Amino acid sequence: MNSIATKARAPFTRYLSMEIARRYGIYLFFVALVAISGISSPTFLRSDNVVNMLVQFAPLGIVVIGQVFVILVGGLDLSVASVMATAAVIATAFDATDASAPAIFGVTFVMCLCAGLLNGLLVTKRQVSPFLATFATAIVLQGMRFAYTQGAPSGNVPPLFHAMGTGAIGRVPVCVLMLVACALVFGVLLHLSTFGRRVYMVGGNPEAARLVGVSPDAVRIVCYVISALLAGLAGLALSGYVGIVDNWVGRGFELDSIVAAVMGGLALSGGRGSLLGGLAGAAILVIVFNIVLLIGLPVQAQIIVKGVIIIGASACYVARRLR
Amino acid sequence: MLSSTSSSDLIRHHVVPNGAACVVGALLVVLLIAGACVSDRFATLPNLLNVHQQATGLALVALGQTLAILTGGIDLSVGSLISVAATLTSGLADNAYGGWSTAIAAVLVLSVAVGLLNGVLILWLRVHPLIVTLGMGALLQGAILYYSTGPAGSVPDGFDALAYGRYAGIPVTATVVVALYFAVSFFMRRARLGRYVYMVGDDEQAATLTAIPRARVILFVYVFSALCAGLTGVYLAAQFGSGQPYLGVNYTLASITPVVVGGTVLTGGRGGVIGTLIGVYLLSLLNNLINFAGIPSHYQLVVQGAAIIVAVSVNMQQKRRAA
Repeated sequence: MNSIATKARAPFTRYLSMEIARRYGIYLFFVALVAISGISSPTFLRSDNVVNMLVQFAPLGIVVIGQVFVILVGGLDLSVASVMATAAVIATAFDATDASAPAIFGVTFVMCLCAGLLNGLLVTKRQVSPFLATFATAIVLQGMRFAYTQGAPSGNVPPLFHAMGTGAIGRVPVCVLMLVACALVFGVLLHLSTFGRRVYMVGGNPEAARLVGVSPDAVRIVCYVISALLAGLAGLALSGYVGIVDNWVGRGFELDSIVAAVMGGLALSGGRGSLLGGLAGAAILVIVFNIVLLIGLPVQAQIIVKGVIIIGASACYVARRLR
Repeated sequence: MLSSTSSSDLIRHHVVPNGAACVVGALLVVLLIAGACVSDRFATLPNLLNVHQQATGLALVALGQTLAILTGGIDLSVGSLISVAATLTSGLADNAYGGWSTAIAAVLVLSVAVGLLNGVLILWLRVHPLIVTLGMGALLQGAILYYSTGPAGSVPDGFDALAYGRYAGIPVTATVVVALYFAVSFFMRRARLGRYVYMVGDDEQAATLTAIPRARVILFVYVFSALCAGLTGVYLAAQFGSGQPYLGVNYTLASITPVVVGGTVLTGGRGGVIGTLIGVYLLSLLNNLINFAGIPSHYQLVVQGAAIIVAVSVNMQQKRRAA
């Protein structure tokens, strides 16, 4: 009530600027970051650097899309990195020819389905906290990966996956096209479909969702499965990019994807935020890493800047929302 | 409210949290019996004392983490702080300025400063503790990599007594840590500040309305958590003889597992430190048992993850309103 009163009294222009900052703050931050980076480093906006950043952005973006779904229903998915690495190990488990591609996709699909279902069922049916459920799933997958590879993975990925990771149509990398396709499909699913409305409903008020006949458990489980499937896809793309396989493909993606989503305006309590916001957060992370290296700062500075940006960007957003 | 002895309050504040601890305690007993069946060397006093000693580091860091989680927050900077503390301990103890006592004093002062900064940023920026402490963790990691990129110095002779010292066959530091757990448990139940920690976590809005000094509680909790992490770093430096900048990397997530396994809810307000202590011993015994059972190291992670899933699935009574 109080906030409505102050809003009504505030001059319209000030209200408008606050509203713009609240809604579009992350995009303005993104544009400002690109501008500052472009000015401070002449190589930043060169086409090969942009392509390079896009290639780094694609796997993270695909993972973030899944993470957005999970965070919107009030959860979080710490198993994405482990799912990615497991998918990468699966990619090299067959003979390195394109003939084995359907088998690779099939096995990865089943693995992701199992991981997503395990996460979703633990969270909904056993009321395990999402943090711990997905963390345990990550450990189990990691263990299975190590047991299978005996700690030393070997083998090569089929040429098809190389094309997925490093190939390009014209100047546009294939993995970026994959990201765009995923963003379109899941953007429509989230923002234009009935299921998408249900995701927001379950995240915003699960009890109200239940009362109007939506099963919160079913929606949550589907979100965890979506996250696992997208992580698997990102893992396959990344394995093609890396070329050689190791047990840690995608390491750090679990926290990076959550940070990207939170920076992009998704509330960890669920029900608030958008897919585009999450992708903007991911883009900011990639740009920050890139520009720190371009300016020539050591890798230590990269880690520190990452910390500052994480806190700073979320601070801008949260302070606006609460005011 | 503090002196209320109504039966519902009694059940809510004593039986329910202890109920979760009881379940984990029962699991501990099951594990001991299973261990005794697997190997006749498992349930012997020397082996159990070894487990007691090996649990020290995890127990220390999980103690602080429990308090942070009880307020509904989380401290993801502990891993990096442990690395910083361990590296500084061995690095500074090697120098001429005063030796190990100066090193420990410096580490403790730094820990308090980091904890204060965490608390101030959480209160001032109103950002979720997950984000603030994650950013702080990145900052600390980058900073310590500036100081040293590998093992720094070595601890002086006799310093390893801190990790391996025994009095009448009983590990000293481990026993002190257990005593600390009981002291903190008493403090949490009897002291006003201890009760406030639960209230802030239980219902932040109600805590604000009843004029509970939330700021003081948050500052206390994050300083305490940072101090525990700092001490863990000192302990690990003594254990390994030297600290290196990635020593604590696994402790961030590992410190949360025993807390949640021990029945403390991640949304805050429920649980307690004794549950965490039982959780720590459950996990340490499990690792020990896996070794005794002769399970190949690559499968150990599978068992560990599965055990976490079982332990948290059993704690059904933790169900709480969707926050």
